[in-house]
Parts: sequence; C-alpha cells; structure tokens
Amino acid sequence: MASRAEATPTWHDGRIASWLVTTDHKRIGILYIGTSVVFLVLAGLMGLAIRLQLAQANADVLSPERYNELVTIHGTSMVFLVGVPILAGFGNFLVPLMIGARDVAFPRLNALSYWLFLFGGLVLMGSFFASGGAAQAGWTSYPPLSEQTPGNGQDLWILSLHILTASSIAGAINFLVTIHNLRTPGMTWTRMPLFVWSIYVFAWLLMAVLPVLSAGITMILLDRGLEIGPWDVQTDFFNPQDGGSALLYQHAFWFFGHPEVYVIVLPAFGIISEVLPVFARKPVFGYKAIAFSTVAIGFFSMLVWAHHMFTVGLPYSLQTYFMIASMIIAVPTGMKIFNWLATLWRGNLAFDTPMLYAIGFLSLFVIGGLTGIYLAAFPIDWQVHDTYFVVAHFHYTLLGGVVFAIFAGLFYWWPKMFGRKLDERLGKWQFWILFIGFNVTFMPQHFLGLDGMPRRIYTYSREDWETWNLTSTVGSWIMAVAFLLFVWNVLKSRKGPRVGNDPWHADTLEWYTTSPPPPHNFDEVPYVTSARPLYDLRRRLREKEGARAL
Amino acid sequence: MRALPALTGFALLAAMAAPAALGQVTPVSPESPNAEGIKSSYLFVSIFVVAIFLLVEGLLIAFIVRYRRQRRQRFEDGAQIHGATNLELAWTAFPVVVLFLVAAFVFVELPDITDAPAAGPAGDDGIEIRVIGRQFYWQFEYPNGAISIDTMRAPAGVPVHLEVTAPESDVIHSWWIPALGGKIDTIPGVVNDTWFEAENPGLYRGQCAELCGLEHARMLGAVEVLPAPDFAAWVEERRAGQPAGSTDLGGELWAGVCAKCHGLAGEGGIAKALAGSALLADPQAVETIVRNGRVTRRGTMPAVGSGWTAEQIDALTAYLRESPPGGQ
Repeated sequence: MASRAEATPTWHDGRIASWLVTTDHKRIGILYIGTSVVFLVLAGLMGLAIRLQLAQANADVLSPERYNELVTIHGTSMVFLVGVPILAGFGNFLVPLMIGARDVAFPRLNALSYWLFLFGGLVLMGSFFASGGAAQAGWTSYPPLSEQTPGNGQDLWILSLHILTASSIAGAINFLVTIHNLRTPGMTWTRMPLFVWSIYVFAWLLMAVLPVLSAGITMILLDRGLEIGPWDVQTDFFNPQDGGSALLYQHAFWFFGHPEVYVIVLPAFGIISEVLPVFARKPVFGYKAIAFSTVAIGFFSMLVWAHHMFTVGLPYSLQTYFMIASMIIAVPTGMKIFNWLATLWRGNLAFDTPMLYAIGFLSLFVIGGLTGIYLAAFPIDWQVHDTYFVVAHFHYTLLGGVVFAIFAGLFYWWPKMFGRKLDERLGKWQFWILFIGFNVTFMPQHFLGLDGMPRRIYTYSREDWETWNLTSTVGSWIMAVAFLLFVWNVLKSRKGPRVGNDPWHADTLEWYTTSPPPPHNFDEVPYVTSARPLYDLRRRLREKEGARAL
Repeated sequence: MRALPALTGFALLAAMAAPAALGQVTPVSPESPNAEGIKSSYLFVSIFVVAIFLLVEGLLIAFIVRYRRQRRQRFEDGAQIHGATNLELAWTAFPVVVLFLVAAFVFVELPDITDAPAAGPAGDDGIEIRVIGRQFYWQFEYPNGAISIDTMRAPAGVPVHLEVTAPESDVIHSWWIPALGGKIDTIPGVVNDTWFEAENPGLYRGQCAELCGLEHARMLGAVEVLPAPDFAAWVEERRAGQPAGSTDLGGELWAGVCAKCHGLAGEGGIAKALAGSALLADPQAVETIVRNGRVTRRGTMPAVGSGWTAEQIDALTAYLRESPPGGQ
C-alpha cells in the first residue's frame, strides 16, 4: 500500500484538486447532486421568466425568440441536467453504501460520467450565446421546425444531448455491473434496498432507450446539413419535400421520451420506499410487490410511446393499443401507492422534514397520476393534448412528484453525506411554502388547458385567461421563496450539529458506517439476513441487553 | 391542539379542491356531437378520478391523524407487518376493473366521436373543406374554390368534413377549435381528416396547438357557423369575387399572413415595419417576396405565399392598393 500512496502526486490532496481528481463514488455523487442543483436553479429561473411573461395578456417581457429559447432550455435542462443526474447522484452516493460495497465497479468510468455530464450541461447553457441563440423548437424538438431554425442553437442542443447520453450510458453500465457483482454476502436480490432496485431498472431503461434518441437527433443533425472537411452531408430523413417523413422522428423521440419519464420517476419512487418505513417505524409494506412493480413499470414504459402522438392521425386500432398499454402502467403504479399507504397504516409516524416531503409526494403524485388517465383515453387526449392541462399533469408528476421526493432524499441522507443535519424548522417552513406554492402554480393550469390554452405560446389575448395565469405566476414566486429557504438551510448546515452514524434509526446498510463514511466506506459489513440489516442488528443488540439484564 | 393535524389535513385538501369550484374543470361547452362525445367520456372518467382522489387522500389524512406518534417513544416500533397477499391482489384487481370500465366507455363513445353522420338533421349532405396549416395562418379551401384565411365559414346543421394538411415545405401545426371537437395535426406530406357538425350559428375560436415557430401564439383560428342559406350565399360571393382581386380575401390575407409579423397597420413587430414602404405598392415585388420569402442578416422571412393561386396574389395586391396599411 505504501508504494501506491507514493505514486499519488501530492497536489491531488488539495481542497479543490481532490474533488477534481476524485474517483470516490460518494464525492462523485455529491458533485452530481450539487451540479444538478445549480442547473435546477438556472432552469427554475427560466421557468420564473416564462411565468412572468404569461402573467398578463399581451405582455412583452420576453420576445417570441427569447420565450421559445427559454421554453426549450427549461424543459431540456429539467429533464437532462436536473432529473436524471440528480437521481444518478443519489444512486452514486447510495448504491455502494446500501449494498455494502467499497465503491462502484468502475470508479474512473464513474468520474468520466460526471465530467461528461458537467460538460454537456455547459454546452447546453452556453448555447444561449450561439449565433441565433439557443434551440427554439421545444425539448421535443420536432422536425421540420427543428430543421428549419437558423443559427447553431439546435446543433448545440444535439451536441449537448449526445454528450449527456454518453455520460448516462457509462453511468448505467456502472450501476448494472455494481449491483450485479458487488453486493455484500447475504444480500440477495430480495434483500436489496428498494432504492437499489429502482436504480437497477433506471440503468436498464437508459441503456435500452438512449440509443434511439441518439439516432433520432443525429438524423436531425444530418438533415440540417453538416460540413466536415471536404464532405457536405445533407440528408432528408424528416424532410417530406424529398421523400422523408416528418412524423418518423416523433416515434424515435417518444420511444426514448416516455421511458425517460420513468427513468426519472422510478428512483424518486425508490427514495419514497426508503423514507416512509423509517419514519413509520415499520417495514415497507409489500417489499416484493414494490420491487416487482418497479420492473413492470420499466418494461411497460417502453410499449406506450405513441400516447404522446394521439393527434397525429394514427389508425384508431393503434391508438386503442396505446391507450390500453398506457393504462396498464397505472396498475403497478397503483400497487406502489397502496403499498406506501399501507406502510403508514398502524405505524408510529414521525413528521420530520423527509417524511413531510414523502407524504407531500404521495398526495401530489396521485393527482398527476389521475390526470394521466384522461390523457391515456385518446379521444379525451384529442381535447387536452398540447394544452396547459398537460403542462399541469407532468409538473404534478415531475415537480410535485420527483422534486418532492428529491427533497425527501436530501433531508434524509444529508446527515450521511455531510455528517450534519439540515435545520428541521427551516425544512418544515420550506415544505409548507413549496407545497402551497406548487399547488397555486399548477392547479390553475388544468383549468386553462381545459379552457383551450395551448402550451408553448409566448402570449395570449384572451383576457379571461388572465386570472388563472396571474395566480399561477404568483405561485411560482411562492415556490421561489421555498427554494431560497433551502439554499439558506444548506449554508446554515455547515455549522449545524454533528450527528452519529444513524440519526434516524434507519434500516439499510449506509447507516452502519460513519457520517460521512470513510473513503473505503466500511471497516466491516455485517452479514445481511433480511432487507433491514440495521433493524436486525438493533434487535439483536436489544435481545443481548435483555439477556444481560436477566 | 390534538385535532390540529386533522384540521390542517382537511384544510389542505379543501385548498387543493376549492379552485375546482371556481375554475374550468371540464372541456369547453361542446357545440358539435364529437365534442359532446369527448366531454361525456371526460365526465365518465372524472367519476373514477374523483373517487380515487378522495380515497387515496382520505386514507393518507386518516392514517396521518390516527397513527401519528402522540405519546409514544420516538423510535418505538410500529406494527411489524410485512405485507398481505390478499390486499395486494385486491389493489391490483381494483385498478384493472376501473381501467376496463374506462376503456369500455371510450369504445362505446368512439363511433360518435370519430364518425360524421351521413347527413345533417335536415337531410343536408355534408360538405368538405380543406384546412391548410402554415406559418402562421390557416387557409381554408371550399369545394367551389373559394378561399378564406384564419376564419372558416361553415353551415349550421350540416356535417363538415375537414381534410387537414400542411405544405411539404412547412412545419407541423395542430387544428383545434375546442367547442367543435378534438385537435388533429396538420403534418407536411400527410393528409388527416376530422369533422364537425355545429348545431348553432356562432363564432367558435381556437388556435394552433403545436409549437410551429415564432408566432405560434398568434396562429389563431375560428369557425364562423352561419345558417345554411347564409353560408351558401357567402361562399358563392367569395368565389365570384376572387378572380377580380377580392379585397375581402385580400384583407384576410393581409391580417392573417402579413400582419402577424409586420403589424396590422404595418407598424412592425417581430418583422420590420412596412407602413409607407414603396414595396407594398409594387404588385410584382409583393408577389416575388411572398412566393419566395427572403433571407437577410436580420432574419428569415418564410415563403408565406408559396403555392398561392394567382387569385390570392391579386387579392392581396388589390387590398394593398385600395387600403394600404398605415395609410398613405
């Protein structure tokens, strides 16, 4: 060992340099989460600007170009720079600790994943300064529109997504190999924490669907024209003027795009499945049902893509198939929700901030799930498709759902990551403000959509849409206050009280080691005999003490 | 104080549900059988949506209230229940039944939504109107060759079949008049169809529902439903006027095609001001630029009039001659 230590140059130990060269999954996880939070703030500011423009009829806060850029980059970053990577960050930090491993299988590949993610994100944000500004065709970037916008914004959007895809594929391989090979003795598949199950399916989904996105956006790139040295490439995949199909891309995009939603939602489900039992002082209800439903959701998510395309004029037989397939996903999702509810049943509930967020998640995700039934029933979708009803629907699943789960996870694992708790009082204030602000922002958007307001319009002249739009904008400011409180809480936590290994008396292996864990994670790992190794340990300890007392 | 969590819970549930009493919670009032079919499907689904919402949120609040810690120790165990197979089966079967009912209802309603009646209540045969979505206007072509822009005229009580498309050089738009049914995309190179049969005369508004570029938000559309004889008169008059350079059509072309970027009085918008421009008085120059578009350093003007008939060009130039935007 001594010779290896000497082989490491001393500058690697610097306060900043040590983060730049790190291959420690915990540090990489924290880098992922920190970077994603920065992108969350940037994309959130874009959302605020969008709401400002829409607060009143005929407003001119933003020009149409600027508005379309912000809509596109807000959506793209929330999915690719916030949703996926922040959960990959949790996965990075937690998976090795939860399965009792020393690190991920390929630590250097892991570092590469992170740096590619950062680089891809910088390309996307930097595209605002490209000639012609950033991409303007929405996060879906449908051709022919995305092929007709001049300037380089769209090309940089494609480049950025390619980089992020490479990052995600490398990360996914890493997770899969790690989960297959590095589980500690005794940790069978059915003793694995449910969060690890969710990351397992997350990784398979990324591997399965990202290549299809890559193909689709490469075709857009080639259609837009590409000059490489002496070669001038110009294809017509999606250009109907020369025999291409304007519709083909949508199939490729949504074959990726719908599973991508579950890529983001499943690890959020995983967080909830970890948090609820700990604060209910119970085992999770129906462990196997929840694990199975995770796999089922992942599988079915690849069979439903054209429910995003009910208005393109597909044959009714196909629309029927996609309706039924989409509805089938509601069954495993319903299983999860009922199992979570049953986890609370006869518990000893403590409402610390992680629990508040987990319950907030449950109450809001249900709404997002239920409005999904309207969207799956295709004739109803013909009315509400591409309206604010859809915007409200997916914000209930992704913001009310995923972001609430992420806050549950941050408040829950913060002590493990940094050895200090976030302030509980501030956290509870933040929760209530965010909960109220969220509903004020997005509930009215259902009404606007039903009343005929399409999404992605930079302005409107109907004055009867003003009340709910203004309400929604005010709600976005309330949410901004909640996010500021979180930033304050993070700054404050640097001086917060230290905590021990296991402040929540939790069940999974990451709480067995110190907070924060040492670079090698564990000095020793107990043999795992159930899905709740720490609960077992505490029980054995109690029994021993009981025996001694006798 | 002990009732506080319960009160908070119910207050929150009420706060989430209260706006429902004030806001638009169903699709807009239908004026055509297909829109009616969609609305009744929506209402049918809503029965289950509301019931499940109340069930889940109700249980959540009930459990929060009933099983909160109270005087128990912080880390005292709750009931160590790992699961129950019968319950799992029950809540797997329950959504299956609900979704089966929803899908079945949709199938029952579907023919009313998709299939236009063969004839109107008074026995009138249907008519066919072509809808062309373009950046950033709607062009409607009637069976006799009449053309209108952004506002379709249609007869009341007659099935109106729409053939919906976009030029191959354009982008995807989506045709949608909420009161007259669901939306259908206009896709370059694809011809879709839909229909409506408006019972009552009136003006029904909608707008493009697929992001189509900078002025997507201004791509408004409307259907003006007229009593059948009035419609017949209008479509004849429009057709008859066209060869002579109809200024009615010309005005629609200016307002629908040019003004969204250049301003109604030519005062400028996302594109440059045209008021007082010599170009407007030169029919040849107008034709060249609307047919071919123009790429300048400041941006691209799409070929908004590619594929226009000579009558459309004449209508626009005649209008510009008679009432030049922004005055002389």
